[in-house]
Amino acid sequence: MHGHHGRALALLASLLLVVGLAAAAGAAPKNPDTLVKAEYGEPETLDPAFAYDTASGEVIYQIYENLIAFDGSDLTKFVPMLATQVPSVQNGLISKDGKTYRFPIRKGVRFHDGTPLTPADVEYSFERIMLQDRNGGPAWMILEPLLGVSSIEQLATSMAGVKEFKEVPADVLRKVYDKVDKAVEVQGDSVIFHLARPYPPFLSILAHNSSWSSIISKKWAIAQGDWDGKPDNWVKWHDPKAEEDPLFEKANGTGPFKLVTWEHGSQVILERNDDYWRKPAQLKRVVIKKVDEWSTRLLMLQSGDADIIVTDPQYLGQVEKLPGVTVLRKLPWVTNTTMFFTYQIAAEGNPYIGSGKLDGNGIPPDFFMDIDVRKAFNYAFDFDTYIKDVVQGEGTQARGPIPRGLPFFNPEQPVYKYDPKKAEEHFKKAWGGKLWQTGFKMTITYNSGNDARRIAGEILKQGIESINPKFHIDIQAVQWPTFLQAYLESKLPIFTIGWLADFPDPHNFAVPYLAKEGGTYAPAQRFPEEWYKQFQELIDKGMSTTDPKQRQEAYYKMQQLAYDYALDIFLVDRTDNRVMRDWVKGFYPNAIRPGDDFYPMYKEG
Amino acid sequence: MLRLIVRRLLLLPVVVFGVTAVIFGLIQLLSPYQRISLFIRDVQELKRFSAQQLIEKYQLDAPLQVQYLNWMKEMASGHMGWSEVAKQPLADVLRTRFPATVELTIWAIIPMALGGIWLGTLAAVHHNRFLDHASRVFAIVGWSLPAFVFGLLFLMFFYGYLGWFPPGRLSVWATEALLAPSFRPYTGMVTFDALLNGRLDVFWDALRHLVGPVTTLSYLYWAQLQRITRSSMLETLRQDYVRTARAKGLDERTVINKHARRNALIPVVTIVGLTVLALLGGVVITETIFAFPGIGSLLALAALQLDYATVVGIATVAAALTVLIVLLVDIAYALVDPRVRVQ
Repeated sequence: MHGHHGRALALLASLLLVVGLAAAAGAAPKNPDTLVKAEYGEPETLDPAFAYDTASGEVIYQIYENLIAFDGSDLTKFVPMLATQVPSVQNGLISKDGKTYRFPIRKGVRFHDGTPLTPADVEYSFERIMLQDRNGGPAWMILEPLLGVSSIEQLATSMAGVKEFKEVPADVLRKVYDKVDKAVEVQGDSVIFHLARPYPPFLSILAHNSSWSSIISKKWAIAQGDWDGKPDNWVKWHDPKAEEDPLFEKANGTGPFKLVTWEHGSQVILERNDDYWRKPAQLKRVVIKKVDEWSTRLLMLQSGDADIIVTDPQYLGQVEKLPGVTVLRKLPWVTNTTMFFTYQIAAEGNPYIGSGKLDGNGIPPDFFMDIDVRKAFNYAFDFDTYIKDVVQGEGTQARGPIPRGLPFFNPEQPVYKYDPKKAEEHFKKAWGGKLWQTGFKMTITYNSGNDARRIAGEILKQGIESINPKFHIDIQAVQWPTFLQAYLESKLPIFTIGWLADFPDPHNFAVPYLAKEGGTYAPAQRFPEEWYKQFQELIDKGMSTTDPKQRQEAYYKMQQLAYDYALDIFLVDRTDNRVMRDWVKGFYPNAIRPGDDFYPMYKEG
Repeated sequence: MLRLIVRRLLLLPVVVFGVTAVIFGLIQLLSPYQRISLFIRDVQELKRFSAQQLIEKYQLDAPLQVQYLNWMKEMASGHMGWSEVAKQPLADVLRTRFPATVELTIWAIIPMALGGIWLGTLAAVHHNRFLDHASRVFAIVGWSLPAFVFGLLFLMFFYGYLGWFPPGRLSVWATEALLAPSFRPYTGMVTFDALLNGRLDVFWDALRHLVGPVTTLSYLYWAQLQRITRSSMLETLRQDYVRTARAKGLDERTVINKHARRNALIPVVTIVGLTVLALLGGVVITETIFAFPGIGSLLALAALQLDYATVVGIATVAAALTVLIVLLVDIAYALVDPRVRVQ
């Protein structure tokens, strides 16, 4: 059966190519003023405060706007959008202590429904996201700089001195509102943000590319049944379920495109906003189609019905030589993938550590506390093969928790390279020489279907088992929920997972990778307390100043420590690609933007 | 006849209850901790709440019958839960997606039934001669081709090369015509709605998009119908009354069409009914290849991502439909074969 399918697929692939060559040559653009992008994501929601995924972000990006935006591909420079100036200490819009930001709001801008933009809309947008703070949503990025907490419930419970949010009395809820209200204020034609402490990436969080800082119309939102802006009843709109969120699938921004329809599971259609405050877009219409099947996407590209298609790395070979098609490879992207060690493995009822002892049939819970084990594992991993075969060259070996493309990434940071001899040396030293004598046995799991994680495990297995016949690693597939649960319970000796940037600042990687409070991976790995302390000091140092020199020092030190401790096996910083018809013009890459910016795009054959 | 219908209608809630209880029961085999993972899509939620809090939040520790009743109450009130894969309330998903699959099924069943029966009759009448062999080979090729191979070949040639039959359900302009306030959606099935609104251009556009999946489905199912019709016809043609009809000097066409085929169709009706069921239950691969937004492509995604609410919701509606269609098949049966009515 398998062989039959394999042959059929090979035959199909070659036929597709021939047909494609015939169809693609010398064509003029179809639908010159409509751009069609075929991909496999589905937006989660169109509410900018609720959305925290790239498929939603891509649609929201076209419809809504922010106070400022990144300058094209540059993640360190900003340009004004709905604010007329980018605040800085020099122009006096940021206070010297770094705690007050003033944004003069642009006049003459209208939302798609015709209502004019006012500073009150800006205030409402930010207060709304803080109070809505949907569970698992992006609101923490606004709450952390403005109120110094990671959730509104955390603030409310600590102010009330209770454990559960539902126990917070009404008068405290009112006080919570007062704090939120004070953090964002309207003053004349400007909006002022009062920060809890200096927060270097604050402008990045507010910039275009981030749906959580989009400006919505207060009047319109209230008309849709959203929070009425009053202080006493905000809890009614707090942490809504998707289907209860009034703005879940409606949209009314100031951006260059208006929402025509979101047909779930099928497509999103956008049309040009002819009353846009800048020059209206050249494209009259943008259609984002959901097409799960790769071959169908490929045919749509070849026939010219799709102008841009999402292409996984393994298919790049099929499009690279097509006439009439542009393939952009190795575009910058801020994301990394890592194999994490668990330092204190939860031993009870854990099937992944064998006997749970150093007897040749398992590993002890503190197996990875020995630095020689960690170094040996790092030296035993063939990074080059992984990058060449698994991600098809779409990435480079990671140099630590902070991926390239971010400020304060150290391009000179040394990394471990595949070196079986060095691995052997460290294995011989590990556990006072006992490990080499008795050997070990453990299981590496991956969530079924994730081939990249499976192959990473197999490369490690191959590297380690070839050093000593007494070393055994089993690779086992489990369902995603099981994988998630087991890693959070610290049951997996090694787990592979990645992190995608929310905003272009190393803080967005330092916390999930290295912090105990608010961290994502470090708590699951159960670092020794002194490491938490060391890393936390550096995290605080990196955030306590806007001076680039001092920040660089902190983040370089972090990367060096991660290397010295052989903290994890840092696998790859991925790159991105775009596959589009030649007639698509105006594309520019941006390493953290969800999807494409259709505003400057047009078609020309 | 009436008793037959009433009896079947009474059976409907019982079967639906049985199916939902079984599906629900199967999911309960997982521990509450595993079931939390089915509800959660975001690591943040696991970090912010303890497992116990989440179990309480989703009432996963309530007795089985309470959980089941809670859920049935929701279903009965039209609130079927949230479809994680479609990012939409499940009731809305079913409202938009089922008509698409029903439309595809209606259009597919016509060429499928007519073509299959015609091929089967042809084969039987030309028993063991060239046309018999040729039609069988033609049908068997379709039967043995995986849907994704035929679907892709079709797309490659008729869409990629000739540019005739695009994937999807409608062109963008037609979608926009549908969204215009003057357009009234009566059935949710775009071909019929277009006709009812007098929009022939939209109708042709929708039909153009249906050709691919319809052809794929027809070709895949022809073999089955052809085989059943053929053997049933052959058996019927050997019956005494056919011999009598021939002996009376009736011309061959009358013998086949009036005397033999009607009786031979009884098993065929059953197969057609079952095929309709199979199509409604989700033409997973065909819908996926042709990017056709029906229930099949959704079911596949939901199953892969363990989207509990969607799978259970579709299964429940499919169960109700199954009973309805079996009822219709029985009625059709009774119409074709008077003996059934007497029983």
